[in-house]
Amino acid sequence: MPATEAALGFAPRRAATGEELDLAMQSLWLAGRILPVGAHLVVRHTFRSQEQKPVEVIYSFALPRDAALRRFRVSGEGFSVRSELKPVGEAVRAYEEGLEEGHLATLARTYRDGIVNLTLGNLRPGETVTVLLEILCGVELHDDGLRFRFPFTLAPSYHARARVGEAAPGVGEIELPEDEFGDVILPRWAADASGLHEIGFRLTVEAGAELASVGSPSHAVDVRLENGRRGSVMLARERDVPNRDLVLDVRTREAWSGVLAGLCRQGKGHFAVVIPSARFGARSEEPRSVVFVLDRSGSMSGAPIAQALKACEACLAALTPGDRFGLIAFDDQVEAFRSHLVECSRENRDGAREFLASVDARGGTELAAGLEAAARMLHGGGGDIFLLTDGQVSGTESIIARACAAGIRIHCLGIGSASQDRFLALLARETGGVSRFLTPRERVDRGALELFAAVGRPVARDVTVETDGLPGARIEPEPSRQVFSGTPLVIFGRTRGAVRGTLRVGWVNSGERRAMEIPVEIGSDKLGETLRLIRGARLISDWESRTEEPPQGGALDRRRQRRIQERLRRLSETYGLASREMALVAVVERPGDQPGELPKTTVVPVGMPEDVEFDSYFAARAICARPRGFPSLRPARPAALPSFRSRAFQPEYHFIHAAMKASLDPLLELALAIEPDGGMPGADDEERALASLLALLCFLAVGSTESSGIFRPHVRRLVSFLENVSLDERQRRIADGVIELARRGGSLPGNWWDLLKQGPSPECWDRIAEGLAKEGERLGDLP
Amino acid sequence: MTELTLAELAEQTGVPERTIRYYIARGLLPPPLRAGRAACYGPEHRQALERIRRLQAKGLTLAEIARRLAGEAPRDGLPKPSPWWSYPVAEDVVVWVRADAAPWRLKQVREALLDLAARLRTNQQEDENDLDAGD
Repeated sequence: MPATEAALGFAPRRAATGEELDLAMQSLWLAGRILPVGAHLVVRHTFRSQEQKPVEVIYSFALPRDAALRRFRVSGEGFSVRSELKPVGEAVRAYEEGLEEGHLATLARTYRDGIVNLTLGNLRPGETVTVLLEILCGVELHDDGLRFRFPFTLAPSYHARARVGEAAPGVGEIELPEDEFGDVILPRWAADASGLHEIGFRLTVEAGAELASVGSPSHAVDVRLENGRRGSVMLARERDVPNRDLVLDVRTREAWSGVLAGLCRQGKGHFAVVIPSARFGARSEEPRSVVFVLDRSGSMSGAPIAQALKACEACLAALTPGDRFGLIAFDDQVEAFRSHLVECSRENRDGAREFLASVDARGGTELAAGLEAAARMLHGGGGDIFLLTDGQVSGTESIIARACAAGIRIHCLGIGSASQDRFLALLARETGGVSRFLTPRERVDRGALELFAAVGRPVARDVTVETDGLPGARIEPEPSRQVFSGTPLVIFGRTRGAVRGTLRVGWVNSGERRAMEIPVEIGSDKLGETLRLIRGARLISDWESRTEEPPQGGALDRRRQRRIQERLRRLSETYGLASREMALVAVVERPGDQPGELPKTTVVPVGMPEDVEFDSYFAARAICARPRGFPSLRPARPAALPSFRSRAFQPEYHFIHAAMKASLDPLLELALAIEPDGGMPGADDEERALASLLALLCFLAVGSTESSGIFRPHVRRLVSFLENVSLDERQRRIADGVIELARRGGSLPGNWWDLLKQGPSPECWDRIAEGLAKEGERLGDLP
Repeated sequence: MTELTLAELAEQTGVPERTIRYYIARGLLPPPLRAGRAACYGPEHRQALERIRRLQAKGLTLAEIARRLAGEAPRDGLPKPSPWWSYPVAEDVVVWVRADAAPWRLKQVREALLDLAARLRTNQQEDENDLDAGD
């Protein structure tokens, strides 16, 4: 390690060595309240300096989805000061002047991609200062609950012009080009997160309907239910490190349909209406065109690519005859399985599987190129893109702009422990699609199949919302024009005061125009203020995603950019929230401040996201993946040559990988085995029919039916195969019995999975018949 | 006018104040000419900032620029290093593969290595079986 780096103390210390920690930021604590339509958070940052002279500390973090900063309070011995919201230029000047005078100055500024730099200047030796930062953000709302995500670390991201390297062994850094990204400073990434600042959290959850469960696929949590609809969640371990996002899953017993409303401080009414997708009618089964776009960039190497491939295969198995599909894999090059859409035949699906088997994670993430290739494939014919990515790219605004220009709906499946949830949510919403994400230790089936079932077949098109009797009502932001199964429609709006009236929602389902009326009554609930802020944050992030820097085209583009900037500034002023145009600043005059002293600038490091390989970004200064697929053959890099370093960091991907494989549900394997005609494989029709019956019973046993559960497309396809396959009279009776059972959402007790695994034998018919007879006695009228 | 305040230096070079402080902290720029309120910056700071910008434009990271300014490495005349993977295919066999080869070539090589590793493993297994039989 060069002397300059060591002397300046940039390398984080490791817990393993027992050295005293020397971190400018010591802990980060998240508290707040999660509602069905968004969250109100407070993040406490504790800074303490052990340096000999004043320091300037820069903590860089990513905003959650649909988020904006509201304000902060900076406190220390004898002071507690609240931030002011100012245009960025003024805020920076106020910060610099405060610093020059020797005061404690704090600046929170939002950059592109929702990256925030929280800068605390003139922290004195031995002084402890806390910054309480208020953030409003959105949640991923489902019909039966919600998913909340908060970034405790920031994923390193690909950009063609970024300068990437190892600053010290095991410490990576990325510098973005100033002409596009301004003076944003990204954190340093520590391969070993054990010596970094501590994180913790305690959040309350208020669901609309009765809570069924609250859990986390990312952290060990303690959950307490206060009553049916309210609970609290906190970190179960004493401490944890910043190497992955916090993800909370909240499930309700039933789909919630309702209105949240109240008055804000200015006495205006604010409301949010949630309508579950099931209320819009059934999903059509019309054939669809789907292009799978698979990210195989280097950052996906290891567990993420394995998970994405599995998800992709499961979705291929869920395609129905009549569907047409395309398959594209991209890094900095784009490869397609075929240059055009193909029919969902057995041959094509096998070919697609072979293509997937050859996919390897390696180069840079040229997401826009992959999406444009997919758009060309769909050109003119309509259809949807199903994107599987970790979204680890910088300059996302340009990608969103190019995707919108292509005019194709994009559904995103985000993958990773620190995926760019904000970006993927925006990309899907701005193009009219839906997004979901998976964390590394989750099964792929739920997220991928649930989302895929909805792709291409909205339950509602051409959604319109009108108001009746709500004085001064304004619906904003523009509600989604289509609704997909599994994802409710959310309508935000405001009114003049405490009023009552009706929302008229119209839509088209199966070619038929339908409508419903929803009564809205604004009471004096204080919730109005929170709703106002959540809505403001959502509007700001929508507009932020439309900014580009520098403007790509000529005068017209520049004028458009100026209008967007103006709009953002007005939104910031109206809602009292920071944005790309307005920053938060506070200057504290302490007794004994010495003007002119130059603080030493340090950057708070974060942990490498746990499923992203350090070397996939920082080795050899290239975004190239380490050779993969050699569990027993880890290439080791020699220490003797200057461009190599010894490996202190051995991620345990293969264990995760194996654990993931083992946890894959047998049902997913079944789903993958279904042939294009909807039946299970077998030597002849009888064997195929029997295997299909057993498979169907396996799906029924877990509560999947033709209309519910993530395996509903598979249940439907098995049923349709069984209806049409030729059988003798007795077998037909048995098959019809099981089909009838499936229609009623019933199941038969029995170990059908084992029978299927042993290879279906003719006795299985008897076993099923016996089961049906017993069930028939119970229910009376099975055939 | 040769002596500038931090704000003036930032204005003239287009490099924000915070960035300049960051460069000083990382040893890329010399500290200001005087301490305290009289702190100021001279032409050497301007030149150093221009040099940093030039090197950044070439794709060097700040860490590399710091190393270069400190005169540590890489010196001119030293051959350009190339990255290699070392695959320990067996406990007693290591194979070296150039890491910057084309992806298709790397794939080919990996397949060959898998074969080799499998063969070496089989031999080892047989040896162990022989040993077991000997006991």
